[in-house]
Amino acid sequence: MIALEAEGLNTFYGKSHILYDVGLKVEEGSITTLLGRNGAGKTTTLRSLVGLTPARSGKVTIFGKDTTRTPTYRIAQMGVGYVPEGRKIFAHLTVEDNLRVPMERPGPWTIDRVFKTFPRLAERRMNKGRQLSGGEQEMLSIGRALLLNPKLLILDEPSQGLAPLIVQEVFKIVQQTKADGMSVLLVEQNVRASLEIADYAFVLDHGIMGWSGTAADLMKDEERIQELAGASAEEWSFDDDLSAQEAVALSHQPTTVA
Amino acid sequence: MLTLVLFNLTNGIILGLFYVLMALGVSLILNLSNVINFAHGNFLALGGYFAFSLAPYLGYWGAFIVAPILVGVIGVIVEQTMIKRVYPRPHVYSLLLTFGLAFIIQDMCRTIWGVNGLPLSIPNALNSPLSNQFFFLTGYRIFLVAVVIVAVAALFAFLGFTRVGTRIRAGTFDLDTVSALGINIGLLRALNFGLGIGLAGLAGVLAGGQIGLNPNMGDDLVLPSFIAIIIGGIGSLTGTLVGGLIIGIASAVTSIWWSAGSEVIIYIMMVIILVARPRGIMGEEGMMT
Repeated sequence: MIALEAEGLNTFYGKSHILYDVGLKVEEGSITTLLGRNGAGKTTTLRSLVGLTPARSGKVTIFGKDTTRTPTYRIAQMGVGYVPEGRKIFAHLTVEDNLRVPMERPGPWTIDRVFKTFPRLAERRMNKGRQLSGGEQEMLSIGRALLLNPKLLILDEPSQGLAPLIVQEVFKIVQQTKADGMSVLLVEQNVRASLEIADYAFVLDHGIMGWSGTAADLMKDEERIQELAGASAEEWSFDDDLSAQEAVALSHQPTTVA
Repeated sequence: MLTLVLFNLTNGIILGLFYVLMALGVSLILNLSNVINFAHGNFLALGGYFAFSLAPYLGYWGAFIVAPILVGVIGVIVEQTMIKRVYPRPHVYSLLLTFGLAFIIQDMCRTIWGVNGLPLSIPNALNSPLSNQFFFLTGYRIFLVAVVIVAVAALFAFLGFTRVGTRIRAGTFDLDTVSALGINIGLLRALNFGLGIGLAGLAGVLAGGQIGLNPNMGDDLVLPSFIAIIIGGIGSLTGTLVGGLIIGIASAVTSIWWSAGSEVIIYIMMVIILVARPRGIMGEEGMMT
């Protein structure tokens, strides 16, 4: 069974053409990762899939239903959880209020279960969203999407800006949702880490789907991975234009508290 | 002298409460729908007139309850048939639309209820002053204060404690994300619009009992309501509440010594706030973006 299928998506922001005939597929119960360098059109693809930036042409099918022109909230109500880029926490709402926003779709996920799964959020339930750390915000954004009790979970760069230890934790959660029977579509810059947990991979390049296949096959293609990882290689390395000494010196400068 | 100060202070609080009711409605709509409703004062008049026409059938108390609800329902209809269409368009469209609506509603009121003022009679129990020395403390004024306090408390409780209210607050921050969480934001905006307009309707019923009805009765309240929002801080309803009370009291107290200044003072305060603290008393940085 196929949870989500997109064919020939052409998406525009105003007059600029962002996606060219993009197609992709998420098998039920799989983790599918969508990779690509900055500006390749990954976020736009996701926004087209959930109806926030509808494609001008092409077709999106979710759980066997044509959703190309379906409003976002209806797609969500079908059981599609979306964890947007940059987490999009409601910064002026408390953690608990953030969790009271999603529509209640029946299923195992309740606010209590989110608090049990993410004890850190339970501790901070009365804190405002803006007072949370990046990792906590990511947990909140994922927990909020899980409250829809989705059958398909779409995550847009959940590891962005997080410390390596937290990234590991986030990826563990993603694996857990698969074990719970959800299908997952994961957009990442963190190429190696996402290939490790993914079953299938798609590679987007300048708005064109350049490669698709199993994650295992892509993992063997060291050259392509290098190219994809580019400047944002997940192994800690220094930028080319910054010598190692300079970087060390910078990192030892006292940081002023804003 | 004490009586004079108290008299003006009372007037200021009453005036401030009208600003608060108006400004909260304008603010609700501005925050969630990004529409500045220039017709808000005309919905206020509509509330007063509805109460006037319903009172013979429902009595004062029936009209008092039904008129604001009816105005709110009309608000939802206006939103669904007109306002909703300009959401995707630049601001100037909604400005022109509500500006036009203001004239349309005003002329409808003239056509239906006439150009001359009409009295909205209130129950005798509310009409008498409580004492001779404090002649300005009528039962009606105390009733008015109580009604506004209850309405504002109910509004804040609704927004703070119900799921729908929480979604409205979340939507003022990021509508896309709210809809991605399964919420019909079209419905949410319609409901919110109706709520804001209903508050104007309530203000109209209350104002009618105080100053009578005429087709322009809400006009003088519109601009100060916008200023209350700016002074309180755009995006913050608590700020709007504070802003409305402050300018009402400031305007009445100023009139003790300088009667011509009672309107000017509002604008002076706005200028001071805009220079010294552009985000307003309780506004948050960047809420306008």
